[in-house]
Amino acid sequence: MELKKLEGSIIGVIPSDLIKQENFNSTLVKDIIKVKIDDSLKMVKLDLDIKDKAFNTLSSMEKNKVILASKLQDDVIILNNFSKGLITKEREYFKKLFKKIASYHKKIILVTKDIELFLNCVDTIYLINNDNIVYKTNDYFDPALYIEGDIPPIIDFIYKCEDLKVRLDEYTDINELIKAIYRIKS
Amino acid sequence: MKYEEGLNYCILSNQINLEFLKEFNEYVIIDDNKTYTEVLEIIENFLEKRIVFNESWYTYSKGQRKKILDLLALRKINYINITSNIEDTLLCDYIYVFDKDKIVMEGKKESVLKEEKILKRLGYSLPFVVDLSLQLNYYNILDKIYFNIESLVHDLWN
Repeated sequence: MELKKLEGSIIGVIPSDLIKQENFNSTLVKDIIKVKIDDSLKMVKLDLDIKDKAFNTLSSMEKNKVILASKLQDDVIILNNFSKGLITKEREYFKKLFKKIASYHKKIILVTKDIELFLNCVDTIYLINNDNIVYKTNDYFDPALYIEGDIPPIIDFIYKCEDLKVRLDEYTDINELIKAIYRIKS
Repeated sequence: MKYEEGLNYCILSNQINLEFLKEFNEYVIIDDNKTYTEVLEIIENFLEKRIVFNESWYTYSKGQRKKILDLLALRKINYINITSNIEDTLLCDYIYVFDKDKIVMEGKKESVLKEEKILKRLGYSLPFVVDLSLQLNYYNILDKIYFNIESLVHDLWN
């Protein structure tokens, strides 16, 4: 199965197996990003002086950003384990960037077990086992996702409230959730 | 950095590279290139007192992570978890927070995770359950900070 053929605009893929990170070994960053290097580096929030560094000396976060920068011109961008090394602030930035990229009719495919990266970002989620699609959904709250994938804390919280027969709507934003709790408690 | 026997540590860092990892050369390091089953096997046969996880927890489901931690506790093995994910800090006892190669904060989980301003300056949020309980404190719905979802849900609705 070719990931590129999956339907959707920003797509989440949860694999059952380990995903291998792309590895450029000691290749210099300037030889990995072949087009519009300065613009691409700025877009992924990397300093321009990273151009002369070897890929294998970078942090995992920087490696992921370099890989994304190298694919910005592609029509289909596949990113494996993109959240590795990302801090919270950057997660939010990249979710917005993915939406912006997708608005130019490009397809983004995020392959990871870290489902928090999908929240408020992807439109379709696939579970894949041995290269076969075993499940497809557009519902973040679908329990089938959490057999293999890591459950985002806000969804875990809402599930646990349901266990106590407290029905909250399917919030993915903490501020909306707090308002809902406040309404119930008052 | 010092690691006391019996405590589990989290190294929260925004710059985990080969240079950074040299500090942990004396330990067995579990990367994200090991499957969940392989990790369990390693722990089953592990003879040291401390193991290091390097940015690998995001590859496990919540249930798998619990099984790994239960097995570590059963075998009396402590861990150091190197991560950029603030949520991982909830499971350890002691946290070192790095900004690139410098320690900017350290302490018991309960004290470090109250330092919202410093964490935000470094680009981290608070863990979801800490953030939620802080805000529910603000609205007088709860009166303490929680570090696990189960306790918060229990106290919130009972």
